[in-house]
Amino acid sequence: MLRRKTIMRTALALTTGAILFAPGQLLSMEAEDAPETVTIDSLASLYEPVEFNHLMHVDYASCAECHHHTTGVKVADPNCIRCHANTPEGDDVTCVGCHEADRFGKKYLAELDNPVLYHIDKPGLKGAYHLNCIGCHQIIDGPTGCTDCHAMTEAGEKRFNTGEYAPKGGAVSESHH
Amino acid sequence: MKLFSKERPEIPIVHHTKEDGSAWTIKEKLWLGLSVAEYKKQFFRNPVNWFMLMIFAIGIPLILGRYAFGLGWVTHASNDYPWGLFLGFGLFGMVPLSASGFMLGTTVELFGRKDFHSIERLALLNGLLGYFFAVLFLEVDLGMPWRLPYPMFVSLGPAAVLFLVAWHVATYLSVQIAEVLPAFFEWIGWLKGKRIIRKYVLGLTVAGIILSTLHQGALGALFTYAPAKVHPLWVSSNFQWIHFFVSSIFGGLSMVIIASTLIKNYMGWRCDDDFKNNLDYVTIGMAKGASLAMITYLVVKLVAVAHDQEWTYLLTGWGSYYMLELGVAVVLPMFMFAFGVRNNWVTLIRFGAFIAAIGIIWNRLNTALVCFNWQMYQEIPHWKEVWITVTIYALYFLTYRFIVYRLPIVYEWKGER
Amino acid sequence: MKKLNRRSFIKGGLATTAAAMVVKEKTSAASGDFDNYPEGMGVIVDLTRCVGCRSCEAACNKEQDLPEPAVPFDDFSVFDHMHHGEKRRTDETAYTVVNRYDTPEIDHPLFRKIQCNHCNEPACLTSCFVNAYTKTPEGAVIYNAKVCVGCRTCMVACPFYIPTFKYSSAFTPRIMKCIFCYDTRLKNGQPPACVEACPQEALTFGRRKDVLKIGKQRIRETPGKYVDHIYGEHEVGGTAWMYLSSVPFDKVGFDTHVPKEPIINSVKEFLAMVPMVLTIWPGLFVGFHLLATRKDKVKEMEKEAELKKAKENDEKEEQV
Repeated sequence: MLRRKTIMRTALALTTGAILFAPGQLLSMEAEDAPETVTIDSLASLYEPVEFNHLMHVDYASCAECHHHTTGVKVADPNCIRCHANTPEGDDVTCVGCHEADRFGKKYLAELDNPVLYHIDKPGLKGAYHLNCIGCHQIIDGPTGCTDCHAMTEAGEKRFNTGEYAPKGGAVSESHH
Repeated sequence: MKLFSKERPEIPIVHHTKEDGSAWTIKEKLWLGLSVAEYKKQFFRNPVNWFMLMIFAIGIPLILGRYAFGLGWVTHASNDYPWGLFLGFGLFGMVPLSASGFMLGTTVELFGRKDFHSIERLALLNGLLGYFFAVLFLEVDLGMPWRLPYPMFVSLGPAAVLFLVAWHVATYLSVQIAEVLPAFFEWIGWLKGKRIIRKYVLGLTVAGIILSTLHQGALGALFTYAPAKVHPLWVSSNFQWIHFFVSSIFGGLSMVIIASTLIKNYMGWRCDDDFKNNLDYVTIGMAKGASLAMITYLVVKLVAVAHDQEWTYLLTGWGSYYMLELGVAVVLPMFMFAFGVRNNWVTLIRFGAFIAAIGIIWNRLNTALVCFNWQMYQEIPHWKEVWITVTIYALYFLTYRFIVYRLPIVYEWKGER
Repeated sequence: MKKLNRRSFIKGGLATTAAAMVVKEKTSAASGDFDNYPEGMGVIVDLTRCVGCRSCEAACNKEQDLPEPAVPFDDFSVFDHMHHGEKRRTDETAYTVVNRYDTPEIDHPLFRKIQCNHCNEPACLTSCFVNAYTKTPEGAVIYNAKVCVGCRTCMVACPFYIPTFKYSSAFTPRIMKCIFCYDTRLKNGQPPACVEACPQEALTFGRRKDVLKIGKQRIRETPGKYVDHIYGEHEVGGTAWMYLSSVPFDKVGFDTHVPKEPIINSVKEFLAMVPMVLTIWPGLFVGFHLLATRKDKVKEMEKEAELKKAKENDEKEEQV
């Protein structure tokens, strides 16, 4: 995933002035400040990286629908509002900033020992992407097939026994009697 | 054999010595005192043997195939129905029909009912062979038959019901061998062996009761591992072992009645007068015992339905099938027995025994196959599986006949005993 | 069958009695408060997240070195495949399968992944007479093919129809079943391959007690999304793999009639009876024997007494 910290910092600086003149408003970023496309490639192995057209998606959804409270936009989820009603925009609005690529690693298991931890169910990076994208695509009839967004790599074909690595012999006997 | 036994006074062999005073050799005893040519002649004159040969002609290659290509080659290799005919019929059906050994052993040796003496050996043999062939069926069915001793010596899982079955069937089989050995010792003429065993008869008989109670019950308890798979009418966690144990009592008795009927009718030359004259009397006695066991069984069945609150199931199609099973397999033969006993109508008893024995098999197949996975599809055994089952049963029949032809089972040894 | 002489028979009898005692001990332990392994791992499967991509099936196939599938893992026609009127199930080539369920309650299909649920008190384990199964402290139910005899009682006992048999093999048959990737992953604290492969995080891995909490949190915080039940929390005494669903569980292929207690509990009636028979029967029946043959004995004694009297009389007469 493209690190966008620098861009965001710049955006932050640019908007600070405006915010100062509108103290009643929540701190929030502007969609136009975001990059046009984001290349999502940090997890790519079975599938090619995704060229995510951020600009296009801005028309479909509010920032909070994907970025939760991190962009400073008020979230709709009553659960989140309980704590994040007034959370200012974060330093980091990237997915990977919060969602771990190593989802079920030792760190996660240790975290769960914290008895007051609320976010015990925070998806990992892969889960965050897919739950976010597919969840919305299912509702608005966007693409939901695996290869609709990312083509399979050779490793993927091997894993899925497809394409080059498809089972030979066509009609293999149906699962045994 | 009937013909030979009429022609030649020294046949059938009942004595160590021939009429001229010389001793029969073991080899001669094995050939029934016939020459090889004569033996062949009598063998091939019997249509039953032709029928058996036909079964073996296909069955033996199938069994070899099972060991060469795996269970999947002869069965439907079902993951939903792990147990098919080999166990459903061979283990769960054969074992209750072989409860005769401990039943009559107990009657004669423990309760001192010497009037049943003439049938005791047949009952013991019936038990021994039934168990032996149940183990043979198991050996066909086990994925790794060469590991049969594992539960005894290699890796023990003592908390499992099957562990108990394995140990008890194994020890009981040895008890039964010991119980049948005296007949063998008489036949080969080693009387010391017989005397040794004679000393332990009481111990062996008591061991027989314990082991039988437990493993007959354990076979039933095996199904309590699948409380959600077997139809509730055929499984009861409280009463399953009692159902299996009590039904084995009349199952075993019925099987002895059947065997003795067949022997009387088709092997008359082998029976002595004691056996023949007493047979009607002991048959009536056994029918009396069986009908008592049956009424007990029906009561426990009823109690199980009441205890598990299964009355509503009785109104379904499965309920009708359940009533049909109980009606045909238990109530009908029970009345046949009772009526036969009251009116000394032995033929009716014999028919009743036949129905009761089939009924036991039916009940076990219902529990293991028909009412297993009752909410799923019904597995129909592969024809090869059926054929192998018939083949092993035919082998059982031949072994049974082979022994009764020779050992003093239904006749008394006239020589030194 | 082995032929035993008397001595080994007696030994056998002793072993049986000993075995029965072990049975009893084990039973009483199981009936009480077997704590399971509190740190055991588990997975919660969220049916509302699964999209039926079969990534888990593919990952399992490679991780466990299973045979090449009949059709590619990205072929979704398998969801329409019915066998004897049943949807796909585990077999010797697949430790896990995903099935599609179309329910009238919702407008889109639901998918359900099945694999071994790794029960707290596994029926396969308790029914195995060669101890081929082990419940590890990490939560996995693993299988030892080296001692398995192939009796398939575990398959009969498993309430979830999970263990399968390698029927195709004549010389090296064995049970084939999901082992939670114990050897290759779980042992080292890693999640199983299917969990790692799931793009939707429909599978959430963690300590059983933690994922249970997660499941409960999801039910509580998204009202109306889930039915208020976690399948596997209590079923057959609790399982390490548990399920969340948006429709009643029986609509998506779950057997909701499995007992709430461990399967072994329904076998206890019999197991409890074993030591009783072993200890009471011998005395009882020897007693019967003595009672039944008492008359004969009495007769014998009377006869002897008479004979003695007769003899004495004879002697007296002679003397006279």
